[in-house]
Amino acid sequence: MKHTASRLVYTVIVLFVSSVAVFYAIRLSGGDATAAALPGSATEEFREEFRDRLGLNEPIYQQYFTYMGRILSGDPGNSLTNNKALTTMLSEHGRNSLILGGTAFGLVFLVGVPLGIVASLRRNSWADQGIMSMSTVAMAVPNFWLALLAVWLFASRLGWLPSAGCCGPKHLILPAVVLAFEGIALTVRMTRSSMIESQNSDYVRTLRAGGLSEWRITCKHVLRNALIPIISLAGLRIGQIVGYALIVETIFGWPGLGQVLVNAVLRRDYPVAQFFSLVLVALVVVGNWVADTGYTIANPRLRKSS
Amino acid sequence: MSFVESKIGPGESAPGPEKTPVLEIEDLRISIASAGSSFEVVKGVSLTVCENEIVCLVGESGCGKSMTALSVMGLLPRGVARVTEGKINYEGLDLLSLQSRELRRLRAESISMIFQDPITSLDPVFTIGSVLQEVVRSHRNVSRAEAKEIAVRALVQAELPDAADRLDSYPHQLSGGMRQRVMIALAIALDPRVLIADEPTTALDVTVQAQILENLRARQREREMGMLLITHDLAVVASVADRVAVMYAGEIVEEAPVEELFADPQHPYTQGLLRALPDISVSRAGLYSIPGRVPSPQTPPPGCLFAPRCEHVLDSCWEGNPELKREANRSLRCFNPQPFEVR
Repeated sequence: MKHTASRLVYTVIVLFVSSVAVFYAIRLSGGDATAAALPGSATEEFREEFRDRLGLNEPIYQQYFTYMGRILSGDPGNSLTNNKALTTMLSEHGRNSLILGGTAFGLVFLVGVPLGIVASLRRNSWADQGIMSMSTVAMAVPNFWLALLAVWLFASRLGWLPSAGCCGPKHLILPAVVLAFEGIALTVRMTRSSMIESQNSDYVRTLRAGGLSEWRITCKHVLRNALIPIISLAGLRIGQIVGYALIVETIFGWPGLGQVLVNAVLRRDYPVAQFFSLVLVALVVVGNWVADTGYTIANPRLRKSS
Repeated sequence: MSFVESKIGPGESAPGPEKTPVLEIEDLRISIASAGSSFEVVKGVSLTVCENEIVCLVGESGCGKSMTALSVMGLLPRGVARVTEGKINYEGLDLLSLQSRELRRLRAESISMIFQDPITSLDPVFTIGSVLQEVVRSHRNVSRAEAKEIAVRALVQAELPDAADRLDSYPHQLSGGMRQRVMIALAIALDPRVLIADEPTTALDVTVQAQILENLRARQREREMGMLLITHDLAVVASVADRVAVMYAGEIVEEAPVEELFADPQHPYTQGLLRALPDISVSRAGLYSIPGRVPSPQTPPPGCLFAPRCEHVLDSCWEGNPELKREANRSLRCFNPQPFEVR
């Protein structure tokens, strides 16, 4: 409990620091907000007045607090390009992103952990070597290239799946697999090494000496111990998926947060870029906190400290 | 005192002549394979442990004591070490020829083992009660409540303080000594006939060592178990052993009842070990150590394995390794035994 609480404090601090960083980075990115919102023919006085109205002439720390105040009160503002409320955009695109990201996250563990277990139990067999070489390839392949390859093969050549779009299960398969690919590979390798380490541990020898069956030792004791480091790194997988989502959503035309963010940056739609950057940062930070809590639950050494 | 003249007879704690063997190791050979080559680490060890008897296996690290013990349990590290020859008999069963399932049934139920490092030897994510009960229930068809009762009884016997309240403790909540008591409880819960303890006190505080040893001996005596105690600590040997086997470089070099071994050690290695015991009345500068090092199992010396370190070495010692000769109730592997002189 103490551990979880202290991690929560830490999480809040990280959220604050990263919100300052995002806010400041958007200011530093240059360009002119009026360029996106106003027609090219607008006069300089009109632009100046527009900046005044948006509060862009205030000191930057004041702008930050005004802005955070508005976000916390549930009104982050509107898009500059189409005047849509950001909250509406968040709920529309956020849902799509959750579907895609959640599926990818699920795949990472539902595929990665079992493959890693198989590799560890059949160490040095053809199955192990096959799984391990595949995972090496999967880690080396950049996902934008994989995405294009997947589109070419499964959409253009074979015509099994749509190349882009939203939001049925058929549309989900390619982007979710591409998004999960590297995470699966990393999880396979980690599960394998973690399982092997656990199998060779002294406590497993004790359980063998106690006459428990290999099957029982593996399924209950080895696996349970091996999962601890995997859970502890689940937070990293969240960050990875969020980062890759920008690329994968754009390539597959999946209307999620990543796509919105990329478009906003390209169009200098500052409120959108800023808000959605913050949302993604918050998602990663909170995700890490959840993973950390899971780690605490899985590891009795942290659970109670008596 | 010469070999023949030495007084033979059971000591106060030694079992009588009618003792029955429970564990017999015959000409055991164990090889380790590493990086393409393989070499022998246990070279024809024979050892008998009888009912109600504590046999100590003594020797320095790497002499093959632990490998011998692990082979009895069928727990040699897989793919690394394997038994190449020999027999291990437990009540008429050859353990080496058993199916893994049959061997598994014997573990904990008939033959138990306690390991050196209690800190790493208990599963950190399960409570000690759940592991104890799991072991009990994997052998006996008993209810949860009965398994719990057996677990508590075992912990009480292992003298874990507040045993009943400790079932829900995780290993990290216990001290090293308490964890070793849990290991003892795991080993004796099902009332085995043979208990193997591999350096059970080496990793513990000196203050706890004596208590753990005393507890082990008490359980061994009341259950009349045969116990194989592996140690490099002669003080441990002196306090609990009935019989002692001294191992050097994968071979037994001397075996004798404990009183006789300490009164009249005959192998130069045993004599060196005794001489190396620090004596509180002697200044620190006088600490003795056996010169040289244990030969590498990959490149053993010709002849007697101890010849390079022996102070009574003869020319003939380099020509062949002496046989282990049995005489009365002790055995010796030496061409040139000399009387022991304390220096």
